[in-house]
Amino acid sequence: MDTDSTAVADSADENTPAGAATAAASSSATSSDVVIETRNLSKIYKDFWGRKKVHALKSLDIEVRKGEIFGLLGPNGSGKSTTIKLILGLLFPTSGRVLVFDKDATETKKNEQIGYLPEESYLYQFLNAEETLDFYGRLFDMSGRQRKQRVEELLTLVGLQGARHRQLREYSKGMRRRVGLAQALINDPDLILLDEPTTGLDPIGIREMKDLILALRDQGKTVLLCSHQLGDVQDVCDRVAILHQGELKELGRVTDLLKVQDVTEVHASGLSEDAKNEIRDVIARHGGDLKAMDNPTATMEDLFLNIVRESEARPGARRVSAPAPDGASDQSADSQADQGSQSGSDQS
Amino acid sequence: MNLQPDDFWTFSEWLFRPGAFLESAFLQGVVLIVLSIVLGLLVGYVISAARYGPGEGFYAVARAIRDLLRTDLPGTSPSRIVALARLAFKEAIRRRVLFVVGLFVVILLLAGWFLNPESDDPARLYISFVLTATNYLVLALALFISAFSLPQDIENRTIFTIVTKPVRATEIVLGRMLGFVAVGTVMLVPMGLASYIFVDRGLDHTHYEVVQADEIDGRIVGKTDRVRRHSHTFTIEPGETQGLTNFVRGHRHVVTRNEDGSFTIGPPTGQLRARIPAYGEIQFYDRNGDPKETGIDVGAERLAGGYGSAGISRLIGVAKGNRKLEHSYVEGGTLGMAEFTFDNVTRQRFPDKIPFDLSIRAYRSFKGDIESGIRGSLTFKNPDTGFSLTPKQFTVEEYQIDERELPLTFEWLNKETGEVETRNIFDHVVTEDGRMQVLLKCLDSSQYLGVTKSGLYLRPAESSFAWNLTKAYASIWLQMTMIIAFGVMFSTFLSGPVAMVATAVCVLLGFSAESIYDTRHFIDSNIERGGGPIESLVRLVKQDAMTTQLDVEGVANTLIKSADAVIVYTMDAVATALPNLPRMVSTAEYAASGIDIFNAVLARHSVATLGYCLLAFLISYFFLKAREIAA
Repeated sequence: MDTDSTAVADSADENTPAGAATAAASSSATSSDVVIETRNLSKIYKDFWGRKKVHALKSLDIEVRKGEIFGLLGPNGSGKSTTIKLILGLLFPTSGRVLVFDKDATETKKNEQIGYLPEESYLYQFLNAEETLDFYGRLFDMSGRQRKQRVEELLTLVGLQGARHRQLREYSKGMRRRVGLAQALINDPDLILLDEPTTGLDPIGIREMKDLILALRDQGKTVLLCSHQLGDVQDVCDRVAILHQGELKELGRVTDLLKVQDVTEVHASGLSEDAKNEIRDVIARHGGDLKAMDNPTATMEDLFLNIVRESEARPGARRVSAPAPDGASDQSADSQADQGSQSGSDQS
Repeated sequence: MNLQPDDFWTFSEWLFRPGAFLESAFLQGVVLIVLSIVLGLLVGYVISAARYGPGEGFYAVARAIRDLLRTDLPGTSPSRIVALARLAFKEAIRRRVLFVVGLFVVILLLAGWFLNPESDDPARLYISFVLTATNYLVLALALFISAFSLPQDIENRTIFTIVTKPVRATEIVLGRMLGFVAVGTVMLVPMGLASYIFVDRGLDHTHYEVVQADEIDGRIVGKTDRVRRHSHTFTIEPGETQGLTNFVRGHRHVVTRNEDGSFTIGPPTGQLRARIPAYGEIQFYDRNGDPKETGIDVGAERLAGGYGSAGISRLIGVAKGNRKLEHSYVEGGTLGMAEFTFDNVTRQRFPDKIPFDLSIRAYRSFKGDIESGIRGSLTFKNPDTGFSLTPKQFTVEEYQIDERELPLTFEWLNKETGEVETRNIFDHVVTEDGRMQVLLKCLDSSQYLGVTKSGLYLRPAESSFAWNLTKAYASIWLQMTMIIAFGVMFSTFLSGPVAMVATAVCVLLGFSAESIYDTRHFIDSNIERGGGPIESLVRLVKQDAMTTQLDVEGVANTLIKSADAVIVYTMDAVATALPNLPRMVSTAEYAASGIDIFNAVLARHSVATLGYCLLAFLISYFFLKAREIAA
């Protein structure tokens, strides 16, 4: 937490996309190969008698390009999951088409390059983590040695080595999510579909998940995720599509969509109180309207992660926060961490 | 045990029915497959037309078939099937289905109290009990595990993680079926072992002492004590220390004379048998000695039944009348007789003696001498020369197998020299090409002896009981496989409980097929036997007997009869399409009767099972493929 830095901003959220994200996004923009393409995709849910129940998706046209992280955003019931299920061939479109790797979505062959993490980790409760991954590895016709190696890698990646022999029914929700993620990656897929990837995870898990998604993108993989956790989407996605009531409302680059054109943001550190006043004067002189000038607020996520990391480094000690040098700021109260901070889910 | 004509068919006779191709299993299978393909295309088209419109629906059906042939069948990977089968296996095991084996053991433990080892034929009682218990337990279990698994997977959405892998519908279906068959196999093995031990130990008993022993000319003739309500007599020849008791309730003991003059009685032997019979052709002669196709009919057993073997030809009305083989009777004290002709009677097959068994019924027209049974005689005869041995007299032992043997030599009075010579059976009674005839007559006048083709047979060899029990279990295994295939098939498009009910209905229809055929036969030939379901209900309400005319006049009568005809004919068609489970269950009867289960019978059941599994697999594939998994 850089409490001595000063931010001039209108935005309450300080999470800037990582530099890598911008770099990779720009490279994907040049590449034109399309991984997923939906053409005029519609889905109507019908009841047993063929009567229309819900128009879940209306004429969706999106393209997901190789190497990007694409976010589907929308409130509950907006058609995000329906879109993902249509892409996977779990549902058949009422009209329109879905092409995945230039193949029809109902073709089994495309699944060889796909990894899918369902909304909740629908896994076999009677298997343990190792058996689960081994089983899914077999479905890809992997050899015994390959499977063993891959299972080992993935268990390490999701941090479940210690719990590998416990049946999934004994797992916590977060652990199941991790196994779910591991099974989605078992075949080293080129396209990864994540349905609500961060639900059920603790803040560390969320951060790890986000880091992992970025890392996958850096390996050149394409990620499609759907979420209603706006923060997650903002943090990782290169492009988003916003759905509402089955209709596409907005589609574009996250950086473009979120850029506020007539507001200037300045971050600086080491400024004295005088210098700040001087800046205020400069703004006033140029006819600008100073919206805020404050010490930036760290997010709950940063706070929480710092506490946990410190606790891992020095177990047992309760963290005592350093008093903020800037007594004028009322933000210092935030840094008084206590045991209650575990409730800090970052974005909600 | 009374074998039916189709029991004697060889495998190829069953498959192709030379001379009566309409009855053949091959034709039945082909018709079934063609019909289901036509029906499948029709249903598929209707569904896809409703979904995509009439034009697009046609392409959808064509695509489904192209996918199956071009990608899904060639792309089916054995290792994925194995992976899915292992999953199904683990699922079932971790749902603790193996408790059923425990349940079976408990049933056996309790059965010990209720099965009476003092009954007339304890071996039959014990064997048929264990096989029946296993059969129904395993079928019920197969029904449960197969019908619920896939719907549960879809409901829990665990299937999402499967179908989004490169897994084909063929693999999901086959994996399920194989996994459950493996579960069933794992359960049948301990059940079979437990059954064997139960039967073997349950029939074991010892006689403790010899209650009477007299020495006559060095030969010891004695009697054992009564254990389990029977005792044996025995003879020890002069100079020997060991002798055999007589057969009582299907077994005998070895009696050893110890040096101090006391006796030791060994364990029972011979009650667990697997006789390999060699049947002959039967020809009846009436009281005047004229050849007749059947003997005398003494009851109404032959009214109906046995249609199952007629296949398609019965369904389309070509084969009419019953095909059931019942006992035909020979009148005593007349020229009436039953003539059995055996072939392939060779020195190689019968090196020491010719063992033969009698399984004959008696019909008494008067009480007769209550002390002795009805007497008959057997005459061994050379069919070419007409040379015959002195008739051997016997007393009928009903409802059990009477084991006898013919020595290879006989004494013959040479009329020219006046000397008694010892001659060999094979030189005089058996023809050069190995044929021999046996004439069965009844000696008591106005009494009757009943036989069928299986009533008198030679017994050239014997198989082991353990192997026969294994074959009986194999038959149970085949039934289980079939039910699993049906259960998985229904579960691809029905919810769990509904799939189970559907499978159970198929099983019940399969089991009651013969009754449905009977009902149709009665309707076809205007025999009053209660009629179809509606007529039966009317009779039930009106409390009318089933052999009277239906007491309903005019239009109502026509209406009832025509509605019944529609129902019965539909049920008949469905039942004909279903596997003939009672035939498969009846292999238990072989084992219980101590007759080696014919390999041809087992081969027929295996092929039929394979055919039905294939059909169920194809239907399952299309339903699963057409199904919106996430809907």
